[in-house]
Amino acid sequence: MKASEKRAKDISKKAKEKQKSILEALKNHGAKIYEDLENGQFPKFSIPSRSVSNIVYDKKLRQYILGNSTALRSAKNSAQLRSFTQLMWLAFFANRLTQEKKSSTLRDVYYSSQAFAIEFDDQSESDNIIVDLEAVTSRPREDFHIFPEERSSIFGDLNIEYTIPGYEGKKMNLSNHPDGYSIGPSLTTAELVDTSAEIVIAIEKGGLFTRFVEEQVDKKFKSIIINTGGQAPRSTRTLLKRLHDEMGLPVIILTDGDVYGEHIAMVIKSGSANAAHLRELTVPDAKWVGVWATDIEKYKLPTIPMTESDIKRCYDLQKDPRYESGIWKKELEVFLRLKRKAELEAFAKYGLTNITDKYLPQKLELAKSL
Amino acid sequence: MSSIKEKFNQISPSEFFYSNRDLAGFSNPTRSLYTAVREFVENALDACDQKGILPDVHLTIKAVEPDKPDPKPYILTVKDNGPGVDAKHIPLAFGTVLYGSKFGLKQARGMFGLGATMAILYGQITTNKPVIVKSSTDAKIQNQFEILLDIQKNKPIIQKHTTKEVAKKGLSVSICLEGDYSKAGNKIRDYVYETSLITPYATITFDDPKGQKFHHPRFVKDIPPPPTIIRPHPHGIDVERIRRMIVESQFEIPTIDDTMIEKVRKDLGLSKQNLSFTAIMAKAKKKWKNLSRQVRVVIALMSFLKMDFEKLSKIRIEDLDVPNKKLHYWDFGDSQSKTVEMDPESQYYKQLTNTVQGEPLTTFLTKRFQRIGPTTAVKFAEFAGFKPEKRMGTFTNQELVNLSDSLQKFDDFMAPDSSCLAPLGEEPLEKGIKKFFNPDFVAVVQRPASAYSGFPFIVEMGIAYGGDIKSGGPHVYRYANRIPLLYDEGSDVVLKVVNDTDWGRYKVKGDPPFIIVSHICSTRIPYKTAGKENVADRQEIERELRLGLQFLSRKLAAFMSKRGQAEMAKKRANLYAKYIPMIAEFCTELAGKKKEPNYKKILEDMEPVEVKTETKSVEEEKPIESK
Repeated sequence: MKASEKRAKDISKKAKEKQKSILEALKNHGAKIYEDLENGQFPKFSIPSRSVSNIVYDKKLRQYILGNSTALRSAKNSAQLRSFTQLMWLAFFANRLTQEKKSSTLRDVYYSSQAFAIEFDDQSESDNIIVDLEAVTSRPREDFHIFPEERSSIFGDLNIEYTIPGYEGKKMNLSNHPDGYSIGPSLTTAELVDTSAEIVIAIEKGGLFTRFVEEQVDKKFKSIIINTGGQAPRSTRTLLKRLHDEMGLPVIILTDGDVYGEHIAMVIKSGSANAAHLRELTVPDAKWVGVWATDIEKYKLPTIPMTESDIKRCYDLQKDPRYESGIWKKELEVFLRLKRKAELEAFAKYGLTNITDKYLPQKLELAKSL
Repeated sequence: MSSIKEKFNQISPSEFFYSNRDLAGFSNPTRSLYTAVREFVENALDACDQKGILPDVHLTIKAVEPDKPDPKPYILTVKDNGPGVDAKHIPLAFGTVLYGSKFGLKQARGMFGLGATMAILYGQITTNKPVIVKSSTDAKIQNQFEILLDIQKNKPIIQKHTTKEVAKKGLSVSICLEGDYSKAGNKIRDYVYETSLITPYATITFDDPKGQKFHHPRFVKDIPPPPTIIRPHPHGIDVERIRRMIVESQFEIPTIDDTMIEKVRKDLGLSKQNLSFTAIMAKAKKKWKNLSRQVRVVIALMSFLKMDFEKLSKIRIEDLDVPNKKLHYWDFGDSQSKTVEMDPESQYYKQLTNTVQGEPLTTFLTKRFQRIGPTTAVKFAEFAGFKPEKRMGTFTNQELVNLSDSLQKFDDFMAPDSSCLAPLGEEPLEKGIKKFFNPDFVAVVQRPASAYSGFPFIVEMGIAYGGDIKSGGPHVYRYANRIPLLYDEGSDVVLKVVNDTDWGRYKVKGDPPFIIVSHICSTRIPYKTAGKENVADRQEIERELRLGLQFLSRKLAAFMSKRGQAEMAKKRANLYAKYIPMIAEFCTELAGKKKEPNYKKILEDMEPVEVKTETKSVEEEKPIESK
């Protein structure tokens, strides 16, 4: 009992420290601007440039990062004045969110701005400013309690303990509800207590996620199942990273057998160019186990032809340094050769449970050697 | 032949116009009402202009039966403060077609005063009512006439003539005509409005049939200098005109009878004395400069006859053989023909040759045409292949045609004299535009005089932006000889030039509030149609319009870029004023401070600093602000 109390305290302390460091970063930013104004100068700050030329691949980190070039944002430049003010408002808003431990969706941010006479033309403009703030503070938006809409979910034997206000210390086992638990702010910030699982299986599609739960993949393979809902959201990637780093669980990824599936796996593994300004979002050791292009031939899966844009995407990815070697390179080449693709559901040709009975065990086995 | 000939009937000008009234703009009740207004107002303004009177023109249109639907009879009255028309001319001037006082080479709104008579004629055909003319030329007596027109005979029928005492000079003309004010009203109001813009020295009042009053007081006190009547330019002339000029220049040898002799005596101041031949010659030489041409010819003849008045009364000149230098006369006393030799060196010989054969070509050119000097005249003679001293009386028909052709083709004549033109002038034009549109920017230009086909013309233009001007410009106000042109603007040369202009190049974009005023003055405006509504695209006129417009457009562009900069600076200042306080608010809470930073200084310092800001950042800002 005492141990758990201590643990709860630790958790709370950890969360507080994190909150404190965020608040510190925001305060520093505000103080600098304040000082400029007080000195009768136009306030300014620098921000890492997010232009394409400044996005470089770091082989050591195994992800895209921003280079050294920075841009100066000045309130004196009337062309930047509006976005300058927007960013200041966002920092101000994030500060309040963090202090009050409230969360906000991207859409909420867009609407909240209107209470302060800050105009965003549309949500994409406010989303863009959020990315700016991430770049300025080098922290993901989730740290400021700003989250995208939820669409990914998790299921498996994992005990967590909430840190969000009103639920602090409350525990939960994530295998109690067969539809899974959506990965939102409370889950992402929860403390991961313990698990009996030995592996995390990230799967691209909700339909397969449901099948995996039905077929008790969590028990049969001692796994935690995560539905990424297509391209994995940041919160999901954060959770995947924590499961890997904090719980020591290997992560394998199952996607559709096409170029987009391959890239979903790659983003979980090494991030996206869009988030080059952020670290801590990647699981470099994650393994993509299928569906590979070679599997299409090997398992004689029913296929559909690739579209023009599928093919173009293949050629685009071939220019990406991460696709220069290994299975990434090989599978791209096969996709281009086949000019056909197969979905995860294609295994239903051999029976609904074929994928969990046959394919998955083979792949899990294979993963060990990858 | 004769049977055919019998079928030709002479028709009077009145009849001709009666059957061709469409030509003069009297095609339907709407157009006719508008045209009638124009003709009377323009006549009134022309009359005042010619006498240098600041015009006061009062136009009234009244429905005879207001409740009837249009078209219906209206009474149209135009009253002015001009010189009036002499009572003895009134019946002919208002009761016949083609009687006018405007036949001369100078700029006027109307050419011959025909339109007004047409309006009267139209009124009479549609309502059978007489024209009522009230005129006073002396500010004491006013003559009032009621006149009908005998269309077939082209003669006035005076129905009533009264006089009364008045205190003001001026003319008032009133006709009753079928019109459609509900349709013509807009154009008539536009016409009055636009006329007052181009006639800023006139007060124009319009009482419309609905009881509305449109009053446009004068805002310029000086009347522009009136045009002068000038000699023709060689490029604007034809064979017939030359023939008439030669007739004018030639002089018949006067019949030397007792009346003539008495006149010569009188002019020399010798009516009471009987001087000898030598004494007469001496006296004539002294007085030569003041003598009339007739008298000079008689003296010249006497010099060769060597006769005094006594002897002169007894002979008759038979022939003057200039080439052979012989003078033949009949002596009543001896009853025989006699001949005397003429000395070609004598100055009197020259006088006589001029009389008989007309002037030498060079003299004819320098004296009868505008702006031809002796050198040019000689050069032209060479160009045309005539001897410079060739007498005008000796030209054959074919030679006249050649002469006329050469006059057209010779390029070294000076441009036509523009003193016959009366442009409004830059200053009144600018004043007018300012008063009418209260614009943010105005520029005017008067181009130097130019000519097409020997007719001089001057283009005046104005451009204005902003203020009370409606957006959707350019709105073009076209004038010719101070007449607003309201119809058929699509095919007008001014519109063509305006439409050819790429306004984007002059920084005029979007839906701009700007106007262009163009005024073409000429002794003859090349209208495309008889209705006087659009100007044909004569190359020379188009060129002047283009140059004028380019000049103004450049000024507008300079204004626009300045205005753009000022607007940007203002916009920028507004941006700072809007955003800096917000930034201050947000950073205060972020920094955990209580008091907002003092940012006022930045806002105050801003304007002078920002004037130097590159335009580039200004342009970048635009799309943001336009939202």
